[in-house]
Amino acid sequence: MTAPADVSALSVVGTPVARRELAEKVTGRTRYTADLHRPGMLHGRVLRSPHPHARIVRVDASAALRLPGVHAVLTPEDAPQQPIDRDLRALEPLVRFAGEEVALVAAESEAQAEDALRAIEVVYEPLPAVLDPEAALAPGAPEVHPGGNLVGGKPLVVQRGDVAAGFAQAARIFEGTFRTQAHAPVAMETRAALAEWEGDRLTLWKTSRAVHASDRPLLARGLGIPAERIRVICTAMGGGFGNKDETRLGVLTALLARKAGRPVRVEYSRREEVLGGRNRQATVNRLRIGVRVDGTPVAIEQRSVMDAGAYISSGINVNRRTGQGALYLYTCPNARYEGHAVYTNRPAGGSFRGLGAPLGHFAVEVLADEIAAALGIDPLDYRLRHHVTAAGQPGTRVTAPDALLPDEPVEGGVPFSSNALRACLLVGAERIGWHRRRPDGAEPGERVRGLGVAMGTYKGGAGREAEAELHIAESGRVALHLGLTDVGQGSATVLAQIAAEALTLPAERIETVMADTARTPPGHVTAGSTTTFSTGEAVRRAALAAAEQLRRRAAEMLGVAAARLEAGRLISEDGRRSLALEEVAAGLGAELVTRWRWNAGSSTHIVNSFAAHFAEVEVDRRNGHIRVLRYVAAQDSGRIVNPRLAAGQVSGAVLQFLGIALREELFLDPRSGVTLNPSFLEHKSTAIVDFPAVEVLFLGEPDPVGPYGAKALGEPPVVPVFAAIANAVANAAGVRLHEVPFTPQRVLAALKAQGRLVP
Amino acid sequence: MTPARATVTLTVNGVARTLDVEPRETLLDVLRERLDLTGAKRACDRGECGACAVLVDGRPINACHVLALQVRGREVVTIEALAGRPEFQPILAAFIHHDAGQCGFCTPGFALAAHALLQRHPAASDALIRWELVGHICRCNAYDGLAAAVAAARDARKPS
Ligand code: FES
Ligand code: FES
Repeated sequence: MTAPADVSALSVVGTPVARRELAEKVTGRTRYTADLHRPGMLHGRVLRSPHPHARIVRVDASAALRLPGVHAVLTPEDAPQQPIDRDLRALEPLVRFAGEEVALVAAESEAQAEDALRAIEVVYEPLPAVLDPEAALAPGAPEVHPGGNLVGGKPLVVQRGDVAAGFAQAARIFEGTFRTQAHAPVAMETRAALAEWEGDRLTLWKTSRAVHASDRPLLARGLGIPAERIRVICTAMGGGFGNKDETRLGVLTALLARKAGRPVRVEYSRREEVLGGRNRQATVNRLRIGVRVDGTPVAIEQRSVMDAGAYISSGINVNRRTGQGALYLYTCPNARYEGHAVYTNRPAGGSFRGLGAPLGHFAVEVLADEIAAALGIDPLDYRLRHHVTAAGQPGTRVTAPDALLPDEPVEGGVPFSSNALRACLLVGAERIGWHRRRPDGAEPGERVRGLGVAMGTYKGGAGREAEAELHIAESGRVALHLGLTDVGQGSATVLAQIAAEALTLPAERIETVMADTARTPPGHVTAGSTTTFSTGEAVRRAALAAAEQLRRRAAEMLGVAAARLEAGRLISEDGRRSLALEEVAAGLGAELVTRWRWNAGSSTHIVNSFAAHFAEVEVDRRNGHIRVLRYVAAQDSGRIVNPRLAAGQVSGAVLQFLGIALREELFLDPRSGVTLNPSFLEHKSTAIVDFPAVEVLFLGEPDPVGPYGAKALGEPPVVPVFAAIANAVANAAGVRLHEVPFTPQRVLAALKAQGRLVP
Repeated sequence: MTPARATVTLTVNGVARTLDVEPRETLLDVLRERLDLTGAKRACDRGECGACAVLVDGRPINACHVLALQVRGREVVTIEALAGRPEFQPILAAFIHHDAGQCGFCTPGFALAAHALLQRHPAASDALIRWELVGHICRCNAYDGLAAAVAAARDARKPS
């Protein structure tokens, strides 16, 4: 473990600094991608397939090209056929889901482009489609991609110990099948891109969470030009949630602009965002837990089947993370996860907040309640007895001694850098009033109330190569240059606080320059809740290196042996003479640039964040309606860099997942393969009146590895939500829910099946 | 076929404008694409989310849901102009203090709606504040911050 940072006296980290550029956002001055205009800019629109699986025989754009204002049409014939991602080409003469991109038009107005889309004639040869992953795995099923529908040709298997031996020791074995349905992430801002060519150089403004790590290499492949000739910029992001990239949008916009000879902007409609974006995959999780007589888990086994849709994108990681709860939440020597990612002719899945963790945790945490109930143990007590502790899992370390430990832990014998799960359970229980909890289904009547608990663990932010660059100009201007994007979570604010802390400056003194390949060092993708932990440490080190150089120069200027930096001034050892940071900067003779790159993580400890959530619900046993009365989220994310932003991020995460838990679902017509509800209204987005204010608690100590003690925060609070609600419903109404979302229909069906309906 | 055109005269942020538009262009299209007023966002284009809210004759409406032709002769105020008014400052301050926006894409719409609701109901209860904002969607779900901010702006405005 690296030496703990000296966090005895922090002045900026840990304070509620106001969110960067929030005034500009509130007053409409922030320019998002679709707000940008370039001289001579055309509007691009996309023609999408009505078929879930079809060969494109012919595209005739001649009529479209004759329409007023139309400058170019891009068809599969114009697109290079080399893959831009593992299974994705820019445009192919084959479509694999209803809504897939077929052609694009550039015209002077969006309306003219729309008209032109209607004038394009496409001859399709429909092919048999497969819309269900089980059917897709059956012999003889239509192939979505050559080589079979099981992505990678085999399931992902990760294990610790020997589950067969574990089950052999078990006094009882509990099992269940748990389903989670597909839904759309629906960031408020839809995907957009604006491409402008100058000769053979491209500038692309785009909604992006990885201008360096994803867009630029993808564009270089798709356009067949070197990455150095491509500049990608994301001016501001209207929500990411781990989603937003991974599509062809950038490449297609650039190709269209090249063909039209003018800048082109493409902005997805809400419907296109759902169809052509990347959705949350549906999963079926079969879980078995073997326990001793007293309930101690001795074997945990999960088999997951994920509907990846037509393209895998980040689905591999989603599949991997679906096993995280089974593999690591409870102390158990034997655990095995087998995850199948399966292609179907549905709109493509991708990454979304929490990856698979909330899906798998749902199964684990509901089955844990069922075990506790069967053994007559209070579910909170059950968790307090068996949750994974700071010691980690039993067993022997497998990772080589000096290698960084994986951020998705499997092996035993490795401790956590910090783990406040127990405090989260105890303090959260106190806050919700757990002592009020009655036995499951004990309350009579039509509307019944109950309490539920669920835990979660999630990677703490390690596992990314991160880089930061700090510029101190002779004028004294301090700027932090970072390749990643503030997708809306507030990373610009938090990372500036970290730099400010190291430089003993107020946070406002640090400018942030982000997400522009021409002005920033390579940055990792804004994903996996890694920003504060990984880039935060790079920022801290770059700033400390700058501080060191300032101190040295100040000592020279003051003619003393050494100087210290305090509250933005450089002070001689005897404290008698001092210089302002600007004076020393002016004395440097050139801009001072410090850089730090590091591979975030630890070779001795696993870094994870933890949470325990408590819900109080009311269930109407006549109509299956669930009302959330109270929700307490207790989080261990180490030191909280900015309590104001953090509280909003946790509350937003919980509310977002309460909506998904109760309502959000994408419906596909099983005959045509067409998505039926690609809109805010029909996808049932959460509104401000739907849930009570979330009670957010931050527990735990500063983490010894993270910068100033911080660990991941963006995703961990979504992980326990489904199970917290399901367990509260079980306590209220005495029925177990095994399928998300918990719509009134599903609750009613469960009440009926389990004999708890009030007619 | 050349689409029909129409002339629309209206006031936007205090400036009289005469524009030559296609009849199918919405007020939002005109504001964003012709006048470069992009504070009103396009998030659904069908009246479901409130991101495109503007004031027309002082009342909040979804600009994606009216045609430019329907606001002939009317007075349109967008967030860009509202932001400069003295009575908006407590709202701005409260939005920042309560961190009422995360990605910020829905935020101009909420801020404009907050202004309109406090004009109409200066003493709105906390529950009424939430119900008045029900037509606005925030996918970051910054709802707790939003509700707290509007309540704080109400308290700051009313000389209690
Ligand atoms: S964009 Fe107008 S209501 Fe959504
Ligand atoms: S702040 Fe992101 S949608 Fe509201």
